[in-house]
Amino acid sequence: MTTEHFPEQEYRRMIKMCLRCSVCKWIPQVQIKSQKYASCCPAMDIYDYHAYSGGGRIILALAYEMGRVKPSDDLLNIVYRCTECGNCAIACKYMNTLEPLEIIMKFREKLVKDGYGPMPQQKAYTEAMKKVNNPYNEPHEKRVDWLPSDIKVDPDAKLLYYVGCTSSYRRKEMAIAAARIMNAAGVPFNILKDDEFCCGSPVYRTGDVESFKVQLNKNLDVMESKGIETIIFSCAGCYDTFKVDYPLYREYNFEVLHTVEFFEQLIEEGKLKFTTEVPIMVTYHDPCHLGRTAERYEEWAGDELKLMPLVSINIPPKPKNIGAKGVYDAPRNILNKIPGLKLVEMERIMEYSYCCGAGAGVKSAFPDMAIRSSKNRIEEAEDSGANILVSACPFCSTNLQDGIKESGSKLKYYDISELILMALGLDPEKLIQATAGGA
Amino acid sequence: MLEKDILKEFQDVVGPEFIDDGDVMTNVYAYNWCTEFVNYMEGKEPIPFSPVPKAVILPSTTEEVQKIIKLCNKYKIKFKAQSTGLGPWNQPSTDNSIILDLRRMNKIVKIDEKNLYAVVESYVSGAQLQAEAMKYGLTVHMPGAGPMASPLASHTSMAGPGFTSPQTGHSARNVLGVEWVLPDGKIMRLGSLGQKNNPDWFIGDGPGPSLRGIMRGWVGAKSGIGVFTKVGIKLFPYPTDTKFVMTGHAPLYNFEKPDYIRAYVFDCKSWKGLEKIMLRVEEEEVGFIVSHISGLAVMAIFSYSIEGLMDKMALGVLKNPLLVVMGARTKREFDYKQMVMEDILTEYDLENIIDTKYVPEKVFYAECLRANLGYHGFIATGGFQSAKGQADAAALCLRAEKTNIPLKQKYIKKEAIANDFGEGAWMTSYEGGHFFHMESPTMFNQSDLKSVKGMANYMDESNKQDLIKHLGAPFFIEGDKLHDEWGPHMMNYHNWLRKIKAAFDPNGVADSGFYITAKKECENK
Amino acid sequence: MNEIYQKLVKICGKKNLSNNPDLLKTYSEDCSYVSGKTPISIVWPKNSKQIEEILKLANSMGFSVISISSSSNVRYHGDTLPKKDNSVILNLSKMKNIVSIDRKNRVVMVEPGVTFAELIPKLKEKGLRLLLPLHPESDKSVLTSALKREPITIPRYHWDSSDPLLCTEVVFGTGDLFRTGTAAGPGTIKQQQKRGAAQVNPMGPTHFSPYRVIQGAQGSIGVVTWATVKLELLPTVQKVIHLQSENLQDLLDVQQILLKYRYADEIVILQNLNLACLVKIESSQIVELSNSLAKWNLIYVLSGRGKFANDKISYQENDINDLVQELKKEKLNNNSPINEKDILTALKEPTAFPWRSRLKGAYQDIFFITNFERIPEFVSIVEKMAQKNLGTYIQALNQGTSYYCEFDLFYDPGDESAIPGIKQNFMDISSKLIEAGAFFNRPYSLWAKEVFANHSEETITAFKKVKKIFDPNNILNPGVLCFDD
Repeated sequence: MTTEHFPEQEYRRMIKMCLRCSVCKWIPQVQIKSQKYASCCPAMDIYDYHAYSGGGRIILALAYEMGRVKPSDDLLNIVYRCTECGNCAIACKYMNTLEPLEIIMKFREKLVKDGYGPMPQQKAYTEAMKKVNNPYNEPHEKRVDWLPSDIKVDPDAKLLYYVGCTSSYRRKEMAIAAARIMNAAGVPFNILKDDEFCCGSPVYRTGDVESFKVQLNKNLDVMESKGIETIIFSCAGCYDTFKVDYPLYREYNFEVLHTVEFFEQLIEEGKLKFTTEVPIMVTYHDPCHLGRTAERYEEWAGDELKLMPLVSINIPPKPKNIGAKGVYDAPRNILNKIPGLKLVEMERIMEYSYCCGAGAGVKSAFPDMAIRSSKNRIEEAEDSGANILVSACPFCSTNLQDGIKESGSKLKYYDISELILMALGLDPEKLIQATAGGA
Repeated sequence: MLEKDILKEFQDVVGPEFIDDGDVMTNVYAYNWCTEFVNYMEGKEPIPFSPVPKAVILPSTTEEVQKIIKLCNKYKIKFKAQSTGLGPWNQPSTDNSIILDLRRMNKIVKIDEKNLYAVVESYVSGAQLQAEAMKYGLTVHMPGAGPMASPLASHTSMAGPGFTSPQTGHSARNVLGVEWVLPDGKIMRLGSLGQKNNPDWFIGDGPGPSLRGIMRGWVGAKSGIGVFTKVGIKLFPYPTDTKFVMTGHAPLYNFEKPDYIRAYVFDCKSWKGLEKIMLRVEEEEVGFIVSHISGLAVMAIFSYSIEGLMDKMALGVLKNPLLVVMGARTKREFDYKQMVMEDILTEYDLENIIDTKYVPEKVFYAECLRANLGYHGFIATGGFQSAKGQADAAALCLRAEKTNIPLKQKYIKKEAIANDFGEGAWMTSYEGGHFFHMESPTMFNQSDLKSVKGMANYMDESNKQDLIKHLGAPFFIEGDKLHDEWGPHMMNYHNWLRKIKAAFDPNGVADSGFYITAKKECENK
Repeated sequence: MNEIYQKLVKICGKKNLSNNPDLLKTYSEDCSYVSGKTPISIVWPKNSKQIEEILKLANSMGFSVISISSSSNVRYHGDTLPKKDNSVILNLSKMKNIVSIDRKNRVVMVEPGVTFAELIPKLKEKGLRLLLPLHPESDKSVLTSALKREPITIPRYHWDSSDPLLCTEVVFGTGDLFRTGTAAGPGTIKQQQKRGAAQVNPMGPTHFSPYRVIQGAQGSIGVVTWATVKLELLPTVQKVIHLQSENLQDLLDVQQILLKYRYADEIVILQNLNLACLVKIESSQIVELSNSLAKWNLIYVLSGRGKFANDKISYQENDINDLVQELKKEKLNNNSPINEKDILTALKEPTAFPWRSRLKGAYQDIFFITNFERIPEFVSIVEKMAQKNLGTYIQALNQGTSYYCEFDLFYDPGDESAIPGIKQNFMDISSKLIEAGAFFNRPYSLWAKEVFANHSEETITAFKKVKKIFDPNNILNPGVLCFDD
């Protein structure tokens, strides 16, 4: 982008404008369907104090700017107990013009710049990322250990499957499923192997923008050197980072797609044909990074026209990111095409989907918060009547599965790509597991 | 911050994680919307922060609230309770104060389908309660602030006009049984809830007189007379079918418009005409929303951004607009109500612009049903507050509105407040048109010092004008200074109120910055 | 005494004062079983100024003041009987001014002496109607009825338990004049009205609503000198539906549906004997009619006004039929042997022949508030304890959120041997009901002690604090409620 998408001046203006109306604590008012699932903010649901809400964080930013609060552990403990899921922003921007998520992110950036953020655990994974290219501090050379020998990779393909750290080291089943699906469709794809590095999302979201920029440049240099035309991501976090955040700092000219978008295309084109009944009832969890935050910023170079004192309008109107352009239909279209599968929805979906609780460094710095959020979501999934929870993000996968375990839930969890494999008849064993105990 | 041993005693009540006396947390709770101009009106620096509370405490039960208040009495610390927390009246007036954030008291105790009421704790929101009540075909009165506000706060402590007031009344008048922790720490249960045998929530008065009389009045005591922990509130029939199907994405959700809902906006052309028609529509009992709003406000309720607002400039030429939204449960009811409305339109030669000149977004109807229209007031400048707030006959409200226009124009000229031609108004009727209230929403920029000061001066002058011209008492006559100004012109009510305060809060611990202090305390000040 | 008398003469003039022992005696008794003291004087003030002076005098000289408004000499429930020796009766029945009838704002301002019989015809002329208690006595004070929170018969217009009472002018026990609600100002009533105000908002001023502590206080907080009372428009067409059943629950369920969707204006449930009392005058006719009716009777009225009156009634009737069908009740008998006009008279008009006295010449009524579910239980308690001459009336209140239950024990006042038994039965039933959790929200003399013994101490303490503020010397109707330890 040629212009800074959220300039300092805007930040300073907006932090004075919170109405303290508490709208940020709930999903959009017109979407509330029950008392139980009205809330939108994991941090508020767990910690209760107003400071943990989107609005509370804006007030904190103002208090910090005015010198009313000084950097302290107390401050960091609030600022970093937030998954940056952006649900508060959707609720606020339904009518208002503030940018709670941008403020939260910029406030973290300032704390890092001022030498206080992020949290020690986050600093540790940042160091790991710098050293071994992944925040899990796993050896870089083991990054492709997930790749089974029978999967065909085409080193000349201009279609790149960017696996990401979590799928490479922690959720290998996702990487394998994605690769097998592409093989099944006969789509040649490449993987970067030694040249794949962390996308930088984990550090970006803690406010360490400088470390993020290094990572971003490293990645884009590789992609550009290889003449990549399209990148496929099975990780919603990597996808969002490439799609939305990278262009804020450096332009690129390849296409980015999440696997659900790509696989939907393959199904449409008849390259993937579902042959096997998968008689299960599932509910789909929209990952934040694939949904509401996956809207690319649109460049705006219009004029601000002062209509009258205190009232200005933008000509043309400034595009407002309100989650409407997230990837919501593709995963649902895929699920609805799987024979025998029944999709039921939770109450909080799409742009007002409830966060799994893992993002923005919370899983490492505040694991308890991550689990508690996940349990909230698990309960909602159970209440939908489904017995299988499905999503499309390895980070959500890890945290939701941890939540299932911790809460003793009978829910089973699968990534959407695993269900596709079942429907393609390529994973009969998993299909037996999935349908065991009745659909 | 609290002294260590005092903090320990509070911690013993709620657990250490639910009290925070650190600078970070207490500063967050010192902020609120409109605090900057309230500060300025009180001769303080116009910043959006009130005095910083000594601590923030989050009780989870009535018994915990009681223990907290007893400790406040023991250590002569004031307390200020808040629920969803919108507005300066949630703020402490002194730094010798703690805030009780009632967030953890969030249960819908019951929805009584047969007796047509609900019992809620402090932190249930209007939308939450409505969503649950809808499962029984019922709804709840929600204040103009919107569905995110706490019905308990609105019913027990804070104003109470709402968009659906023609059919859902006024918060203060919908109160049944109440559980109330008095400023001395005693728990009082009003009406049938106070019985020793089979206490229940169905009535809040008696035996004999009704203590609701000292509980809140028209504007609410804003925690100056204790903390309300549970309240029984009436439920009303939901105006149409309760399907509420919403698809698409924010903000222009594709709401599946119920079969039997219809909106009317028409220009009554004159003040007299407006009064006559508004009363007539109410007498016919056809609308669940019957609101007079200014031309600019008509545009605002249909807009979701400032640019969208300006697109609708053509709608703004309405001189004396009236918004009527009717709903029905059956086709017969719908046909009847439409017939009545058509007859009124014909009789007064009115033109409904809805679906003729302008087709609203479908989500508009969802917002009508969920009482979310007030929020549109923030579109133009990001901030507004209402002057006025008098409530009596339609004629008084309209006169107050008319009288306010030149005053408002003066401040518009000074570029202190946004230009709504001086006309900004919301007037709604209650209980089928038995009384009305009018407020004058005024758009200002809370991040602009000049605007903040201008807004404060305008509010002050508007109040004075109402006093001199006998135009009724506005909402925000609260706090000692204003009570001392207004009391002598209103039967010296302030003296009686002070006696109540003194009798029920002997140690003056219920923070009364937005209520009244007992005389003795005032003298000490 | 002499001194008090002399000073009262100075305030009100001799002709507005009486020391006639025979007359005084009549104020020491009423239709209840309460024994009262004989007052020392009766004074008929003309205006609030005189009342202020009387109350100030009472404070300085230490006499009690009991206010009475109705012109009838028939009083009930013992609440106006002097309990102390030096009591003065403040008889407001001569303050008969109907100050204003405001069609536009549907409100009337009346002084305390204005009766139902006087007001209703005047309102009719302007197309207005009062929200009435069931067939009130003609010479009953409109204002007193509202101050007592007597149940009104149209639950959907009962927006607040305080309806139809709006603003008041009151002289508190201190002798201070006050105006409640928007009547407080700013400005005098005239100045307010000049600006368009009509004193229709009872709330306030500001943070309190003193009218609520005056209401239901049995004259122990203040003396109301005028009040605004909420009105509705007079229907032009009305249709009475009378459903009969031997099963009370069936009728309760039907009326609950009407309440839920706010259909129908008047809605009452009456046991056969009470319904017969309402529409017949003669005892024999009452018995005859009662015997021809099912035990329980639900009466509701659909009303319309103007051009589309019949359309409104028609749509409501059809909608109600659909809803009632959904209840899957066995067919309810809707063949009424009673003339529709007679029912409407009982619902719309006052009567010179108190309907509760028609059967036997006298009655004792037991009334309280409860919820929907507990009505049959209370009915059963009372029916077990009073098998004969019992009338029952059930009235949904306050938008259908609570129910007034009234049990009338009819008896012959001439049969002196039976009276002690009636009294005992009255007290036994009342006690049993209080014990079972019936909420006696209007705790008159014989009930007060037991009602307050069964109520939370915090509430009683609060009542006493309020009393101390508005009537610190306890000059107003001492002995009522919980104010005398």
